[in-house]
Amino acid sequence: MKTFPWLKILQYSILLLVAAFMMFPVFWIFSNSLRTLPGISHFPPRLFPETPQFSNYVYVLRNSNFLLYFRNTMILIVANTVGTLISSSMVAYPLAQMEFRGRKFFFALILATMMVPAVTTIIPQFIIFRELGWLDSLWPMIVPGFFAFPYNVFLFRQFFMTIPKSLGEAAKIDGCNQWQVFSIVVVPLAKPVFITIGVLSAIWWWNELFQPLIYVQANHLRPLTTGALAGFRVHGSPHMVQWNLQMAMAMLMIIPPMILYLVASRYIVQGIKATGLKE
Amino acid sequence: MNRAERMKNNLAAYGFLSPWFIGFLLFTGGPIIASLVLSLTRWNLLSPPEFIGFRNYITMFSPGSGFLNSLRATLIYTVISVVVSVTASLFMATLLNFRLKFMGFFQFCFFIPAVMPSVALAFVFQLIFNQHLGILNYGLSVIGIAAQPNWLNDTFWVWVSLGIVTIFTYSTGQMMLIFNAAFKDVPQHLYEAADIEGANYVQRFWHVTMPYISPIILFNVVVGTVNSFNTAFSIVFPLTGGGPANETTVLSLELYNSAFRMFNMGMASAIATVLFIIVATVGAIQFRVSKKLVHYD
Repeated sequence: MKTFPWLKILQYSILLLVAAFMMFPVFWIFSNSLRTLPGISHFPPRLFPETPQFSNYVYVLRNSNFLLYFRNTMILIVANTVGTLISSSMVAYPLAQMEFRGRKFFFALILATMMVPAVTTIIPQFIIFRELGWLDSLWPMIVPGFFAFPYNVFLFRQFFMTIPKSLGEAAKIDGCNQWQVFSIVVVPLAKPVFITIGVLSAIWWWNELFQPLIYVQANHLRPLTTGALAGFRVHGSPHMVQWNLQMAMAMLMIIPPMILYLVASRYIVQGIKATGLKE
Repeated sequence: MNRAERMKNNLAAYGFLSPWFIGFLLFTGGPIIASLVLSLTRWNLLSPPEFIGFRNYITMFSPGSGFLNSLRATLIYTVISVVVSVTASLFMATLLNFRLKFMGFFQFCFFIPAVMPSVALAFVFQLIFNQHLGILNYGLSVIGIAAQPNWLNDTFWVWVSLGIVTIFTYSTGQMMLIFNAAFKDVPQHLYEAADIEGANYVQRFWHVTMPYISPIILFNVVVGTVNSFNTAFSIVFPLTGGGPANETTVLSLELYNSAFRMFNMGMASAIATVLFIIVATVGAIQFRVSKKLVHYD
């Protein structure tokens, strides 16, 4: 006899409750992005505005620097993703597939540098880029991307370890050198890890706040994060934030990573799991 | 392999490593040493640096300094963010392991806040936490709580606020996925055995799941501690700006203020050096822990 599924109902209720809690900030951004400015400060707060103001989005897209900020963010994402995919995969290859002097030492050093917080190295970097005349440009945030990011080296290396060395040895007998083994044999097999790191890198640069804050003062070079911080002010009273427009911009900023998750969740989950545990 | 071949092989390997090696010298290792040197100077970027010995460190450690305040803020922030992240992620991962349908949908809902830019998260929580107009205090008034906190402008409640926001950060989402994967690795036959023994849900969790999960909890605690030094700025800066009254000015924010608002590069470098020593210590612990738990080879 089948009993009434109390347990299942209880479990679904908890899941839905937690899901609603976790999604609340997203919902609240959306709901506030459709209000008028007086509607934001309406008390008691309504869950959803009576007359949704989609014109807020039109205003943000037409009358603000949103598209310019978006372009800058995209430049950072594309350049850094290309840079880190090339350089980090190259660095990871010998660590996983070759025997050489100092292999263990270099790998340990790379693991150690994974933990160094960006703020602890920022001042000398700032001085280098200042000497190069690169302040107020995107270069300080693009060029380092081409010099292998330790975390990505680690992810690549973990994946390359799973590729049997015999494949490379066979290719060498056929006359390939190490570079050809890397580019012809290993890279095509590692497509999933390239996608994983590409996606994680894109999410990371979409959210990066600290570096643009330091390197870029000119408004037209700001990416979305520091651009959003500058914010929308009420005309004539620079201390009053136009929260409805601010929320419309925030909504536009959270849609792309949401889509990216929907398209590539498998890769994101894989990448994050790989940092956790390996059997 | 003979000697010449081995030489050639080593050189090829170093060739592959060269991008990292240059990056290490210019952007990590070099700057760490440069910070150490700069920390012994007074420098405002305009006139040349002036050597002043350990005076920055003496100022830093004298009572009532901004640095000691930020050390305290960092300690509180780290404890809150690690405890909240680990607890919330463990809880959500447990829920994601119910044997039910639509789990992909629930994982989406649980994880999505993690990929939101911290700036967007900070903005919406400024609205939610608003003392007079925010929905949180409205909710409290509805359930009859008259004394409603001024969340972001009170030196106690601001920490509670940061704790709540931590639930929605990337590090929580990341830990949730790691726990979720770990749960799936628990051998199924142990659960079946527990079911035969007539164990209830709580007993199953404590006696079957926990022994498998506890090393991963430890791992996430240590990794979360190191990560909190990195993530503190991106949450605290847009949400509280270090306030109220410097209560939440964590080390990274103190460093940012010294270097890029006061242009006191020597002092900022001294803070960077101390922060590096703290992270290196925590990192050394992490390395020992993960050596026992994680098999890199």
